[in-house]
Amino acid sequence: MNALGRPGEPRIYVPLLGLLLIVLAPLAIESPFYLHVLVMILFYAALSQAWNIIGGFAGQLSLGHTAFFGIGAYASTLVFLQYGLTPWIGAVFGGLLASIAAFAISYPCFRLRGPFFTLSTIAFGEVVRILAIYFRDLTRGSVGLQIPFKPSLTNLVFQSKASYLYLAVGFLLLTTWIAWWIQRSKLGHELVALREDEDAAEAVGINTHWAKLIAVMVSAFLTALGGVFYSQFVLFIEPYSVFSLDLSIQFALVAIIGGIGTVTGPIIGSFIVTPVSEFARAWLGGSFRGLHFLVYGLVLIVVVILLPRGIGEWLRIPYQRLLRRLPGWRPFEAPAAAPVPAAAFAPVPAGGNGFLLECRQVSKYFRGLAALHQVDLTVRPGEILGLIGPNGAGKTTLFNVVTSFYPPDEGQILFAGRPITGIRPPHRIIRLGIGRTFQVVKPFTNVTALENVVVGAFCRTTDADQARAEAARILEMVGMGQKMDILARSLTIAERKRLELARALATRPQLLLLDEVMAGLNPTEVAEMIALVRRIRETGISILVIEHVMRVIMSLCDRIVVLHHGEKIAEGTPGEVSHDRRVIEAYLGEEYLIA
Amino acid sequence: MGRGRSLSLEGSAIDTLTIIQVLVSGILLGGIYAVISIGLTMIFGVTRIINFAHGEFLMLAMYGTFWLFTFYGMDPYVSLLIVTPAMFLVGLLAQWSVIQPILGAAPLMQIFATVGLSVAMQNAALLVWHADYRTVRTSYSTSVLEVGGLLVSIPRLAAFGVAVLMAVGFFLLFKYTYLGKALRAVAQDRRSAMLMGINVERIYLLSFGIGTACVGVAGAMLMPMYYTFPTVGTYFVLTAFVVVVLGGMGSMTGACVGGLIIGVIEAFSGFLIAPALKEAVYFVIFILMLLFRPWGLFGQRGAEEVGLK
Repeated sequence: MNALGRPGEPRIYVPLLGLLLIVLAPLAIESPFYLHVLVMILFYAALSQAWNIIGGFAGQLSLGHTAFFGIGAYASTLVFLQYGLTPWIGAVFGGLLASIAAFAISYPCFRLRGPFFTLSTIAFGEVVRILAIYFRDLTRGSVGLQIPFKPSLTNLVFQSKASYLYLAVGFLLLTTWIAWWIQRSKLGHELVALREDEDAAEAVGINTHWAKLIAVMVSAFLTALGGVFYSQFVLFIEPYSVFSLDLSIQFALVAIIGGIGTVTGPIIGSFIVTPVSEFARAWLGGSFRGLHFLVYGLVLIVVVILLPRGIGEWLRIPYQRLLRRLPGWRPFEAPAAAPVPAAAFAPVPAGGNGFLLECRQVSKYFRGLAALHQVDLTVRPGEILGLIGPNGAGKTTLFNVVTSFYPPDEGQILFAGRPITGIRPPHRIIRLGIGRTFQVVKPFTNVTALENVVVGAFCRTTDADQARAEAARILEMVGMGQKMDILARSLTIAERKRLELARALATRPQLLLLDEVMAGLNPTEVAEMIALVRRIRETGISILVIEHVMRVIMSLCDRIVVLHHGEKIAEGTPGEVSHDRRVIEAYLGEEYLIA
Repeated sequence: MGRGRSLSLEGSAIDTLTIIQVLVSGILLGGIYAVISIGLTMIFGVTRIINFAHGEFLMLAMYGTFWLFTFYGMDPYVSLLIVTPAMFLVGLLAQWSVIQPILGAAPLMQIFATVGLSVAMQNAALLVWHADYRTVRTSYSTSVLEVGGLLVSIPRLAAFGVAVLMAVGFFLLFKYTYLGKALRAVAQDRRSAMLMGINVERIYLLSFGIGTACVGVAGAMLMPMYYTFPTVGTYFVLTAFVVVVLGGMGSMTGACVGGLIIGVIEAFSGFLIAPALKEAVYFVIFILMLLFRPWGLFGQRGAEEVGLK
């Protein structure tokens, strides 16, 4: 936000100059055709921006946005024709209607991942079109609806193209501002996180389902406004043009070509792509129908294969270089922020047994196979408890049951004396104060290390500056201060493990579940990690750790629980456990099998 | 059928014969859907890519059949022998040029590569062949077989027969040949298959080729009874998606049974509800299916893990 306060900087005044050029364009351009092209560029940029909120930020590839577009167009036109209501209000009505439709279809469909979600959105778009054609008493079916040409501000009908240009500029500014705001906000970080890895997003306390729903409703609202603009611009709508799959594809295509998931991508994409269709239509006429979409398709394939992050990414570096040469350039300064307040957790009950975590007779079966069978386990406040056992003993399953990734089939789990069994989905458990890492690390690969941890920090704050400062502090603490701006996918395995730990710490847990954070590390890295885990305990966080490296377990843990074939076979201090006959058998048996 | 009898007993206009008639035409139509869907589900099963351009391959096959008929007077059933191998090659080309480079990319990008292919092919067809509806007029295009008062369209019957043959052929291929086993192995686990000495890239190529050859067959069989136009693929591919999701992604049995079910549903909803709404009916089924049983009738739970069966 503070960036807006410095208009003397090139990163502010260069876009403003661009905007000024567009606003002044009608003075220089007399040809209505060129103005029309400019309007269409802004129009598609805005719609693509709206699509990008759910398709790009959240990575939920909707090809059904035409339904929201058409709902907006029909809603505002119908209330105008029937009741004479101004499209200014009709637009809000259409937007809300589209948001409701988006909620209704997405609420169930967001359970689907990847291509299955895309297919369901296509089906939704098709159904809406078929219904629009069928219910001709309401929509006049294939005949379409005509808006009378009575120019006035209230009717949202204008004589001059320039007025539509200003309207389009306003529409693009609105969508871009909302997209920009979302991107910087907590919601934006949550969307990126769930796009990268939905399980990991839940594990840092994100309500992934809700975040997606908010995003799709905002996206649908803005898309519906686009539909209203279209109907007021063309003054005629019919189902095949406003409910077409091609339109859905175009919204997405513009964003992908420009740079999916970025605020500038849709704008860049539209300036590249939209003129192709408009000029092809005008210059080549009807005999070359299809040419521009042919070009779109080919460009899309090439971009996906060669420039998956879009043309905008390719332009970014020269643009930054240009900015640096302009007067007034200053390097970006990280804002100082107050520390994130400590989360207020329910105190561990002093009376009774005083356990932080208590699993009572927990069982989990996978089709008859007992991954966990009547396991009792307790973690005391301030303790490091080791969980060991041969491969397939049920250690990770226990983590998944505690953090509600799997519901237990039997038994009870208490956290700080409070029953948490059956609290789903996982983010609700995380917010109660249990952090976790994954055995196979799940970093948000396409964002920086800092952003990874920022997502975790947003679990306890809504302030972006605060989350950022907190994330930086934690990365310093785990010894990753030098790696903050590196993309997570470029990190080594040891660094990824630390990043995963940092991200879990950022959620301010009271209890931390560490799943093999030492596996795959060399001896020096292991020693560093042991020291780190001890430091974390000193800050008052209790730790439950799964580990295979016996040396680590022995030196790190206060107590150890041994699982074998889903059952607890031993419990005690490291010394007691290492001399337990059943434990030795379990491990020797394992080795025997391997040999 | 029992339902038809009871309806006729009530003296309704809908008699048993009509119901059977609708049922039969639905099943026959379902045969074509099954052939298209087998190709789609096979490509998905092996490469884990949903080929949004599948319909455009069908469109290409239909145009191929049309031009062979127009220029050389070749009967569509004969041109099947040319169109099918040609489509196999088209499939190889598409796999090699578009799919192979994006195999490691994010699923989002994979979807978009095939969407791009679909858009490009559809509009190339629009550009070259224009939007006209074209069909072939054969002596048997409209001929029907009468069996005990039932009217059975000859081209539909032929298409159904070919569908059955293909289903049997695929069953034998998967069960008894090395190629079939290799396809199934790659479908189950790309890496393990590679370790077992299977040339995975070649299997990907072949699966795309075979899957596309399926629409070659479907295109030739459809031409005597249907029109072709640049966007014809969209209609059929959406139906095929419904079929494949209904039957279970990657399941051959699912594609066959799902095809028949959708054919019958389409015929009955056109007959009982309204022809204009028949698509809406099966899209609603599609969405419900995705929600409550996304792994389909014959797929396995956790649809990402399904293999070829």
